[in-house]
Amino acid sequence: MDTSLIVPGVIFGLSIGSIYFLMAIGLSLCFGLMRIISLDQLLYYSVGAYITYSVNLHTGSFWLGVLAAVAAGAAVSLAIERIVFRRIYERDLTFSMITSFGVLLGGVGIIKFFWGLVPRPVPVPISEQMSIFGTEIPIYRLIVILVAIAVYIAIWLFLNRTIIGKAIRAGIENVEHVEGLGINVARLFTITFLIAGTLSALAGALHAPLIMVDPHMGLEVLAFVFMVVIIGGLGSIKGTLISSIIVGQVVSLGSLIYAPLAQMAPFAIMLLILLVKPTGLFGSVLLKR
Amino acid sequence: MRKAFDWWWGIALAFSLLAAMRAFLPLPFVNEILIFSIYAIGCSFLLGRVGFISFGQPAYLAIGAYGTAFYLFYFGTNPYIGILAGLASGFIAALIVGPLFVRLRSDYFALVNLALAVIVFFLMQKVLAPITKGDNGLWFLTNMTSTPVLDITRPSQFFVFAFIVGLAIWAFYKYLDDTLFGACCLATKINEDKLQFLGYSNFSIRLAAFVIANTTTALAGSLYAVYIGAVSPEITSPARAADPVVVILLGGAGTLYGPIVGSIAYTGMKDVISKLIGNWEMIIGPLLVIIMLAGEKGIWGTLEPWLKTLLFRNKSVVPQKNSSIEGN
Repeated sequence: MDTSLIVPGVIFGLSIGSIYFLMAIGLSLCFGLMRIISLDQLLYYSVGAYITYSVNLHTGSFWLGVLAAVAAGAAVSLAIERIVFRRIYERDLTFSMITSFGVLLGGVGIIKFFWGLVPRPVPVPISEQMSIFGTEIPIYRLIVILVAIAVYIAIWLFLNRTIIGKAIRAGIENVEHVEGLGINVARLFTITFLIAGTLSALAGALHAPLIMVDPHMGLEVLAFVFMVVIIGGLGSIKGTLISSIIVGQVVSLGSLIYAPLAQMAPFAIMLLILLVKPTGLFGSVLLKR
Repeated sequence: MRKAFDWWWGIALAFSLLAAMRAFLPLPFVNEILIFSIYAIGCSFLLGRVGFISFGQPAYLAIGAYGTAFYLFYFGTNPYIGILAGLASGFIAALIVGPLFVRLRSDYFALVNLALAVIVFFLMQKVLAPITKGDNGLWFLTNMTSTPVLDITRPSQFFVFAFIVGLAIWAFYKYLDDTLFGACCLATKINEDKLQFLGYSNFSIRLAAFVIANTTTALAGSLYAVYIGAVSPEITSPARAADPVVVILLGGAGTLYGPIVGSIAYTGMKDVISKLIGNWEMIIGPLLVIIMLAGEKGIWGTLEPWLKTLLFRNKSVVPQKNSSIEGN
């Protein structure tokens, strides 16, 4: 294979990996702090994409759509957190999984109600190409990668430099101790959930021009996002970053070699990693609280 | 005699209810309930008895269904052998993925299973498209020949067959509950360390339970395939991953009759809802949330103690030894 195929393949993989990273980081944080598996992140992803589509259709501005999507994701996730998750933080892990699947399913129903079943296209906001190593790369994909890097740095700074972030990190270690120090854990949970929902909506908004927006889009990325979370290890941000890069590259380079491989190869890698390390690459040995 | 009656009364009651439904309700509806309850009991066993929640049941359903479909489409014509082929493929698949999956913690188990369901969907829809005919599915209704004694290519006789199979499966699972193996399964759910101290291997018990449950699910898949006479990737679509979970939660997780009650309620509801608005997710989703928030006991879990006091008011001394082992 020559570089004219490899370079776009790598860039494509990185951009896909960025989308997975944005979604998986929310799932991972939610698991780490609250010990919930929040399948409804996939709903905020779809909501983000649909809001982007609608705003883009009416105002013509894609970036305004992304802003609106992020705001909508924050609002919806806040509402869901208040109504549903508030009541189930104390419960078993599988409990949250089933409940959030219910939320996801209901949300998909509502999306179908408002936008219908037809897949909707979102135009790519920047159609210019850029030349890297002699091959043309769409600039939009580079922007997606840059956004993901920015989010990673922001999350890192937030968790390491602010007092709330430090409290969240401490909460991942031991939530009772944090509560004992007089920190409002319920508020911490809300903030984390809000961050997760917002990032998922951002992922949906950024992914919208690259695919078709349809009601089941959340369920389509579901497998890949979960593979990212499982390979990286639940609750680890660094692991999520690394595994999203791995999965992105496997999907993209795998499809260069043999198209159906793109969908199967990450799964094979996940099984291999789980065989060696049942908690994922960077997963903690922490059990259920 | 008395003991045998105690053992059988629940199953007999449940299945005579199903038989009675045959007289009042349309045949496809009752058939679907029967298949669905067989589908759900495997998942119910995993969740209620072994403590594994599986969002990947559609994968095993599809494996069973495609096993049957491949046989009937490409090789043979006898639906009974087709069902056996589906059963065997489900058994083999469970045996292959089982050792990998049961080592995982229950949260990873759920996620990995869900991923498996999506992968099987892709596999059937795209990767194996030359064999599975992709989204069009395999149609083999006319390939099946009628069988001499019980002609399961006809819906009315299929009902009799599915009824017998269901009865056998329920008797089997009730028997499992009574055996040492059933007790061990419950023990791995409640306290795996203690079970290890007693000299049992958590791994092999979980593996056996996993294989049993998913072979049952594959059986439901092959029944489905024979009944419809066609299989398409739609049966393992991720949107339906929650179906068995919803059914068993609706009915009551880990109870023996929960899957039947849940199937009746769920199939009925889906029928009515899709007739009214055609957008069943909007109802099923919130319903699932409400059931969970209301205490996850389900219809049967709520009904059972009440029914028991009603039926055994005069004979309250009779110890109910089987039904008192509750999962949660």
